[in-house]
Amino acid sequence: MNDVFVNMGQIVVLRSTGSLITVGLGSCIGVTLYDRANKVGVMGHIFLGRSRSPQDAVTLPGKYADTGIPAMVQAVLAAGAAPKNLQAKIAGGAHLFPTLAALENSIGYQNTLAVRQQLQRLQLPLTGEATGGNRGRKMQLDVATGKVMVQSIGQPPIDI
Amino acid sequence: MDPIRLDVLREVGNVGASHAITALSKMLDGQKLELVIPEACWLSFEDAAKFMSEDSERLVVGIYMHVSGDVQGHMAFLLPLDSAMLLIRRLTSERGDALTEMALSTLQEIGNIMITSYLNALNAMTDLVLHPSVPGVAVDMTGAIWQSVLAGAQVAEQVTFIKTEFRTAETPIGGHIIFLPADDDFQRIAAVLGARNLP
Repeated sequence: MNDVFVNMGQIVVLRSTGSLITVGLGSCIGVTLYDRANKVGVMGHIFLGRSRSPQDAVTLPGKYADTGIPAMVQAVLAAGAAPKNLQAKIAGGAHLFPTLAALENSIGYQNTLAVRQQLQRLQLPLTGEATGGNRGRKMQLDVATGKVMVQSIGQPPIDI
Repeated sequence: MDPIRLDVLREVGNVGASHAITALSKMLDGQKLELVIPEACWLSFEDAAKFMSEDSERLVVGIYMHVSGDVQGHMAFLLPLDSAMLLIRRLTSERGDALTEMALSTLQEIGNIMITSYLNALNAMTDLVLHPSVPGVAVDMTGAIWQSVLAGAQVAEQVTFIKTEFRTAETPIGGHIIFLPADDDFQRIAAVLGARNLP
């Protein structure tokens, strides 16, 4: 079984078989785009909502939602996905330290809004989501089936 | 960043963490604690992202505080879950296998005292004012906590931080204290200390 881990800021494409996995999603957002017909998917691990300079789109586009989601689309289309088949799922955006900031000011919440906004802008249907709360998450996309599992510590995995 | 500055910053980790573990040692009735050599890191974002990846899924208690004043930054105290449980058994009458709310608030206070001691030591060395915020506490995957600390600091392309590991001689209690100052302030601390301590 081919398991590929996706670190913060990375964008990884996988075809046919294997899993894309990201662990330790706190305020970050794991995003998957998947084309069921062509069995191809991409996973990103978005760190913050907005890039700060044009340079960011070049050095590590996957770090930010505004540069990362378009870069993910580009990567998965280049690997053979059809634009009309793409479906998005997202997980993360938790607020681990609620005593330090109000929810609406938390990075997890802001990240969730930023990612949803980018998906909407690029007309990518959001078909599964596990965001918010106070717990970190692990996210796994099975590229053969498109199944996305999300798990927090001490909780059973859920199929989103 | 030149190696001399990194040396100076390692010294910050050493002095700060010495004070922090002295505070912890007092809480443990004088039990001896050892510092492992502090690491001063100046990493690309990608390397910082990978920094904790080996332990990414390991459960830890994380105590996290913002720092304001002359230096803006972030402090985190990470304690593996088994160490946290041992600490709680040593310090309270709790004997269960899970961390209760009471245990968590005890750990939050321990983290608070240790981080404040670290910052006080840094203040005494540099005359720079460092105010800790209220502490936050979470029990979660190391990766999720490390990632939330980096995001809280909104780190850009380069990440600078000092990590100091400590452990006890007698019981397997250990942990990490991480100081992540804002980029410009990192330079400032290095400059203040460098001017004083270096030939």
